[in-house]
Amino acid sequence: MTDLHLDGISKSFGDVTALRDVSLDVADGEFFTLVGPSGCGKTTTLRAIAGFEQSDAGSVRFGGREMSGVAPEDRDVGVVFQNYALFSHMTVGENVAYGLRFRETPGGKSKTERVAELLDLVDLSGFEDRDPDELSGGQQQRVALARALAPGPEVLLLDEPMSALDARLRQTLRTQVKRIQSELGITTVYVTHDQEEALAVSDRVAVMNDGRVEQVGRPEDVYRRPTTRFVAEFLGENNVFAGELRDEVVEVGDAGFHLVDLDASDGSEVVFCVRPEHLVRVGKRDAETTGRRAETTDSGAENAFEVTVEAVEFLGESFRVHLDWDGRDVTLRAPERPEIETLRVGFDPADAHVVSDGRRDRSVVEEN
Amino acid sequence: MTRGDEVVREESQRLRPTRWLERHALAVLGVVTAATLLVVFYYPVLTVFADAVRVEEGISFEVFHEILTDPFYFGALAPLLEGDFGRVSEVAAEQPLGLFGFTAFQALLSTIASVLLGLPGAYVLSRYEFPGRRTLRSLTILPFVLPSIMVAIGFVAFFGSRGPLNDLLGLVGLGPVNLLFTLEAIVVAHAFYNAPLVARVTTAAWESVDARMVETARSLGASPWRAFRDVLVPQLLPAILTGALLTFIFTFMSFPIVLALGGFRLATVEVWVFSLVRDLDYAEAATLAVAETVVSLVLTYAYLRYEARQTGSSRATNPPPRKRPLPANLSPLAALERAGVLVYALVVAVVFVGPIATMVAESLTGPQGFTLQYYEFLVQRQVEGASFQTKPGVAVRNSLAFGVATLLVALPMGVTVAVLTTRGGRWARLADTAAMAPFAVSGVVVGLGMLRGLVFGVELFGHRVQVTGPVAIVAAHAVAAYPFVVRNVAPLLGGVDRSVVESARALGATRVRALLDVELPLIASGVAAGAAFAFAISIGEFDSTVILATGSSSYTMPVAVERYIGNRTLGPATAMGTVLLAVTSLSFVVVDRLGGRWEA
Repeated sequence: MTDLHLDGISKSFGDVTALRDVSLDVADGEFFTLVGPSGCGKTTTLRAIAGFEQSDAGSVRFGGREMSGVAPEDRDVGVVFQNYALFSHMTVGENVAYGLRFRETPGGKSKTERVAELLDLVDLSGFEDRDPDELSGGQQQRVALARALAPGPEVLLLDEPMSALDARLRQTLRTQVKRIQSELGITTVYVTHDQEEALAVSDRVAVMNDGRVEQVGRPEDVYRRPTTRFVAEFLGENNVFAGELRDEVVEVGDAGFHLVDLDASDGSEVVFCVRPEHLVRVGKRDAETTGRRAETTDSGAENAFEVTVEAVEFLGESFRVHLDWDGRDVTLRAPERPEIETLRVGFDPADAHVVSDGRRDRSVVEEN
Repeated sequence: MTRGDEVVREESQRLRPTRWLERHALAVLGVVTAATLLVVFYYPVLTVFADAVRVEEGISFEVFHEILTDPFYFGALAPLLEGDFGRVSEVAAEQPLGLFGFTAFQALLSTIASVLLGLPGAYVLSRYEFPGRRTLRSLTILPFVLPSIMVAIGFVAFFGSRGPLNDLLGLVGLGPVNLLFTLEAIVVAHAFYNAPLVARVTTAAWESVDARMVETARSLGASPWRAFRDVLVPQLLPAILTGALLTFIFTFMSFPIVLALGGFRLATVEVWVFSLVRDLDYAEAATLAVAETVVSLVLTYAYLRYEARQTGSSRATNPPPRKRPLPANLSPLAALERAGVLVYALVVAVVFVGPIATMVAESLTGPQGFTLQYYEFLVQRQVEGASFQTKPGVAVRNSLAFGVATLLVALPMGVTVAVLTTRGGRWARLADTAAMAPFAVSGVVVGLGMLRGLVFGVELFGHRVQVTGPVAIVAAHAVAAYPFVVRNVAPLLGGVDRSVVESARALGATRVRALLDVELPLIASGVAAGAAFAFAISIGEFDSTVILATGSSSYTMPVAVERYIGNRTLGPATAMGTVLLAVTSLSFVVVDRLGGRWEA
């Protein structure tokens, strides 16, 4: 097994810069996820690891070995693509056995045994002689996984493997993939644009945007403590406010907010975010107002502002309330449908997180 | 797996020398292909170019100047090019077109005729559902690979003063007309070849039209006619223009049809080059060939540019419903349309079946009715013929042998170029252009170049290197055939999902292994079609073979057909043509059984 290191990878396609100085360290046996919007460079990063793209600069190392210039067939990676990419002219068994033509079967087993073992691993025992076309999408993707794992690769690379499947199947399959991954303890890089999926299965995630890595960390840390505005807005819902710091108070429009852990000089701009579930209604003590989090309304009172209700969506376990605050869009999660037009809402200073406004920082850099 | 295992594995990979070859096989194949093209195509063609400007010592453009300012070649354009404006009107009255003008004129007429004959076919094939529709659609490729000299003989027999056409016209009280050695005959014969091509590309475009687009137009208030004009026509026009442009290029360079149906009286540039070669006037032949090649290269470039701008025809997810030939309720308009289709079917039968059937019939008809005397002649010639005479058996054997050899050369060449074209990155453009160049250079020019360059020999490091007889012919055939392999293989190869190949690579397959194990099996139908094309083109190739086989025993069936054309009777030629037809058809059946499909 192998740890994986990317060091200063850059890649351009003509005028388009796909990767800007990407560095990542993936530990041995780790389930590491690259997540970001389409075009953020996550797939290009994966393709650079697999050897399908040669980076313009930087190095890729498996264990201690430099991989730049090594052809994909010599890298010992297993790759699973979004569209399964099964060889439709071969049976399921032949597909799984294909990699064994070039690499020795792990564990000194016969090819037939290895194929049976892998098909058993993905719950497709006895499917050897089927044609890929006869299988459902989920089954095809499991065959693709078995095929990638059969030669015992050092690194498993998954490129949006669930995107072509429907939502319910996606959940079952991702649980299965995660189970197999931890059973084998194989170093895995997983690419997805689905932030929920990324947070659900990964040991660590890297959020990518515009060819850069914005933040790396455990899913819960990245979700709870985003460091950049992009991460705050990309992972889950968030309310992002930008204001100016004056006498320990962040002034946003007419309102002033108290935040904790402020590390900025007076007069500088402060961007911070508050999750919709951390915004609460204040000023009303009745049970109908804020329900579960009624006990926090007192602390929210100091960071309160007046909003009007624009729209309400019922989500099942709660309501999403779209609010307007002097022309700013604010979102709130509420256990009940609000009955009035105008509300006061607020938040606990501990629930607000200051983030760097990545976009602004960059544009300044690029103008220079 | 432990580190120790890995070391052993890497060692074992390093120790296999085949692995190196496999890893670099594509590059090696690319170099071999390029070298082959260089020797058997670019060098000979450049020899022709050099012949055009070379005099005793040094270079001269004298012959060029002569040709450009000769009204015989350029008509009213010639005095203009010379700067002698006074003579323009005088020449315009006598020789307005010249040889080049006439060649372009007959190509234009042929293109118009092909489009007119092809479009209704596209309509019927794409809008009607009837038994045998798929077969008919597949058959549209057939004329394209039919040996041209055989078709020419068929047309000579068909259009002749005592031919079936005049019999048919006589039945309805018309005629007799003599179409032989007229422009009309050439145009109709060209339409025979190219109308199916126009029908084919247009049908493909028509079938990929999404019915919902027309329905959307209708829902927005367009009448059926407006919807047709505003939505359908713009989608079909690129295909029609592609077909028309290709037709113009092919007919501009057409050789055996014009030679057989027009003779030297209605000669095109190509025929005139051939005639100059026969008179051993190589300098003028070469100059003329260069001028012709420049025109056809420009046209081919225009075609490629135009084709590249068209986005790949997406398969319609929602094709419009097809009409039935005989629905229960027939409105007057629909009845009129069916009547039109019926008339069209008759015309198609006359134009396409007529000449071929006539050729077979003619081979069995003597002055006193049914006879086998022409076939007896073939057998007798085979058994008793002197060595300098053309023997049918030798021709059949040569044709088959050259066909197989061409297949073996053109298939790897074509597949290599297709791979480099579709996946090669910066090589793609170069490979694509190089691949299409033989398309734009006529067979007579290639034949002439090979004759002058390779057959006569080249002085190389003190040795005289000669490529003669069968080798030269196979080389010429391969050059003519491999672009068709590329055209059949490349689009399918481009359609193979990149991730399928990458999966194979990640599993340990080299690029070539992935090609052999995964891509080629996935596009087997395209490879088979390419192979069939290569074989068929070799079997039917006439233009360069007739030059290269001169005075040797390397003649093929088409050349034998031409040699048997007598002054008084078409008998032996039609008999040989029928043998050619039989062998060609049999080959197609074999290829078809081996899994090939005529879905190019």
